[in-house]
Amino acid sequence: MTEDWADQESAGLLRALGQVEPPGPGVLEAAREALWSAVAGEMLSAGPAGGRSEAGRAGAAGADPSREDIRRRRAEPGS
Amino acid sequence: METDGALIERSVRGRPDAFVEVVQRHEVAVHGFLARRAGHQAADDLLGEVWARAFAARCGYDLGHADARPWLYGIARNVLRAHWRTRRDADPAAADEAVDPWDDVVDRLDSAARARELGAALRALPAAERDVLLLVAWEQLTPAEAAVVLGIPQGTARSRLHRARSALRPVLARGPGSAEGKK
Repeated sequence: MTEDWADQESAGLLRALGQVEPPGPGVLEAAREALWSAVAGEMLSAGPAGGRSEAGRAGAAGADPSREDIRRRRAEPGS
Repeated sequence: METDGALIERSVRGRPDAFVEVVQRHEVAVHGFLARRAGHQAADDLLGEVWARAFAARCGYDLGHADARPWLYGIARNVLRAHWRTRRDADPAAADEAVDPWDDVVDRLDSAARARELGAALRALPAAERDVLLLVAWEQLTPAEAAVVLGIPQGTARSRLHRARSALRPVLARGPGSAEGKK
């Protein structure tokens, strides 16, 4: 067996030490909840650049369009 | 497809929800990063904290980096360290376990003697060298990306990686089954 680090069997053994099961159902979604809380908080107030967000500007048009905007964007983040 | 850097820039410029797409791209990888080092339960518990911290810190993201994964691993690493500090403070008797989760990692290994030997060799490495080695071997990062995670110069990451590989080479170079009977 070669002493080359790139040796497939050795590299595979090292990788095998780091094998873990994928996250269980709902784990990723639950973790994203913490993010969405922060996103919603920012959308409902001034953004990090200091100006009002698009959601905030949209707030002038309806009773509570910012919250509606947040719901829509949760369905299609980044769209 | 937009790069992570472009999405983060957009998230700073009035579209904070764009950051969610960055998270969706890397959430399985970051969960794996946490789980490999602290176990599944801790990974489940800490993942949301990583996203909250990353979102809060995104204004400082270097937009020159198209791939956000090394930056996210760096944040996850800080969350892990805080987690271990908290555990240590809460139970000083468990300090060693809290700071060094390698007992858990070695316990996860299968019964192959060589794998156990490799686990022990990894544990014996200086933590700074082990960090670089595992970012490359487990997270499939380049040494330059590992340097971003750890906040160290690229040359330092490369030299640590070289030392770690040199230390492990005797174990890795042994043929299959050579460690049988050593347990």
